[in-house]
Amino acid sequence: MKSWKTNLLAVPVLLWIGILVGVPMLLVVAISFLSRGHLGNIVYQFTLDNYRKVFDPIYLRVFWNSLRLALLTGLITLCIGYPVAYITSNLTPRGRALALGLIMLPFWISSLLRTYGWMILLGNAGLINNVLMALGIISRPLPMMYKFGTSLVGTAYMLLPFMIVAVFNSVDKLDRSLLEASYDLGAGRWQTFFHITIPLTLPGIVGGFTLVFIPALGLYFVSDLLGGGNTVFLGNLIHTLATRGRNRPLAAAFSLGMVALALMVLFVYWKVTKDKTGEGLLQ
Amino acid sequence: MKQPLLALVKLNKYYGDVHVLKDISFTINEGEFLTLLGPSGCGKTTLLRCIAGLERIQSGDILLNGTSIKDLAPNKRNVNTVFQNYALFPHLNVYDNIAYGPRMKRSLSEAELRNRVGQVLELVQMSGYEKRMPHQLSGGQRQRIAIARALINEPAILLLDEPLGALDLKLRKHMQTELSRLQRKTGTTFVYVTHDQEEALNMSDRIVVIDQGRIQQLGSPREIYSNPANLFVTSFIGDRNIFPVTVLEIGEEHSKVRVGENVVQVRHSHAGRAALQVGEEAVLAILMDKMIVSCAPVENALRGEVLSIHYAGSQIRIEVRVADRILTVVEYQKIDCECQTGDTVYISWEESGALLLPQEPGWEERGL
Repeated sequence: MKSWKTNLLAVPVLLWIGILVGVPMLLVVAISFLSRGHLGNIVYQFTLDNYRKVFDPIYLRVFWNSLRLALLTGLITLCIGYPVAYITSNLTPRGRALALGLIMLPFWISSLLRTYGWMILLGNAGLINNVLMALGIISRPLPMMYKFGTSLVGTAYMLLPFMIVAVFNSVDKLDRSLLEASYDLGAGRWQTFFHITIPLTLPGIVGGFTLVFIPALGLYFVSDLLGGGNTVFLGNLIHTLATRGRNRPLAAAFSLGMVALALMVLFVYWKVTKDKTGEGLLQ
Repeated sequence: MKQPLLALVKLNKYYGDVHVLKDISFTINEGEFLTLLGPSGCGKTTLLRCIAGLERIQSGDILLNGTSIKDLAPNKRNVNTVFQNYALFPHLNVYDNIAYGPRMKRSLSEAELRNRVGQVLELVQMSGYEKRMPHQLSGGQRQRIAIARALINEPAILLLDEPLGALDLKLRKHMQTELSRLQRKTGTTFVYVTHDQEEALNMSDRIVVIDQGRIQQLGSPREIYSNPANLFVTSFIGDRNIFPVTVLEIGEEHSKVRVGENVVQVRHSHAGRAALQVGEEAVLAILMDKMIVSCAPVENALRGEVLSIHYAGSQIRIEVRVADRILTVVEYQKIDCECQTGDTVYISWEESGALLLPQEPGWEERGL
């Protein structure tokens, strides 16, 4: 009885989320089963054609590109973000506030502008090429733009702060006396890192990975600007289909494919943080 | 003479400008139960961490079996610690927690390891708990596992940092007996940190009393209890009435002092005798439970007026005003006279329960 009344408080929030997330989501599901008219309008006729196209080998390649990009982004941000988070959490309170502030600072500038920044840096007439040529290290510009790697660098850069913050939260909660106990029992620094620190900060690692992986699937403007559309990712494909391609039903079907990929990662996250290890890990 | 197991030589430790350990020197013998006793913030835990290698010392040396270990990392020292909060690894079960040390050092095969874990679990009476996770254990059980995890490494010295602090009173008493038993059975040298005088007096072979980073006294529980070296130890250990008196006469063993209108003879501390001066103030400390209340005048007693009487189970506490001081007398069983509030009584004491110490400036302000 009491819990029913307590739950009542959540109703406004649920309504809000329901209207802003649930209804559009249902619309996407509905549209994905409809047909496209000659002029690109939606025709109210049930079809599974869109899903047939999604599983077409040509399009599966797009899924693979996106999966690869998101996985590599997660890996790169983890390799850079973990040490940064670890060092930050060991700073003095002042140093840590400053470091976290600096990590968050880029969010004050539009991500589109920051992507243009990368173009200025990496372009054929960009900063890096100019400096290297002026120093006589190279004689002609290194082509660094419009590659898979360029999209990867841009996406990883854009999402790195999420990884740092997620890992920071769990590294910060790590009881330092456990590390002392490990040294005391005869373990060296690396042994302690792999047997104590990593397992105990696993929720942060997986959480950060999830926070980075899911947006990496859909950050289409980064791969548009830096990748030049040479490698087609899910985000770009959906964007093109929904706008210039005038095929919103197919765009909706691909969107749901992307949702499915994201759900897979969320499932792993749920498994790791909820299963076996129990409260000890999360506390 | 036999070489001591551990020798601390003029050890000094600073945190920034704060001098936390000052010229600490003493030795520990093999198989000994030694307690570092002092109020919180006195440096006892820091000293323990210096021995473990978790803190670096700025000067002095630490010798284990005659070899300096002060520059060795904690994992290279043959000592193990039982931490105050136990510090069991939450993601490992009891078996893996205990096996952690030997596994990291690769000192045992898995078969030998299984054997040893079984042995230490039996030692701490926790057989059958191998598969439990730390969060499934009670405080006392975690405590036992933490001890087993340290003992499996067969350390030369086991360091215990207030291990009973988080347990309730009943369990604490039980674990005291348990720790003594473990220490005797394994023959391991224990260095035990506590702020609880009862724990220290109960379990230790020797006690090091520390205050403000300095050793105040080192001795057996009996020595420290009945012959405290200075005012700090006097006030920190044992329940005593401590009050200033005027010295009238200084003898070989005893001195004559005045309290208000009373003149009494008391034993003085060996070290303190030189500092006593006729006509100057000194401090008299009498154990509350060694005092005797009488209704009729007796020799060598303080005359006073009963302020209140409290019956507290097996003991009776009587507050008596003597001169401008209020003294507390603790009597067990029956008292010599059935005194009432307002009565005039005479307080005497067992000779061994009283001690005359030189006055130290500022001690009363510390409120110990």
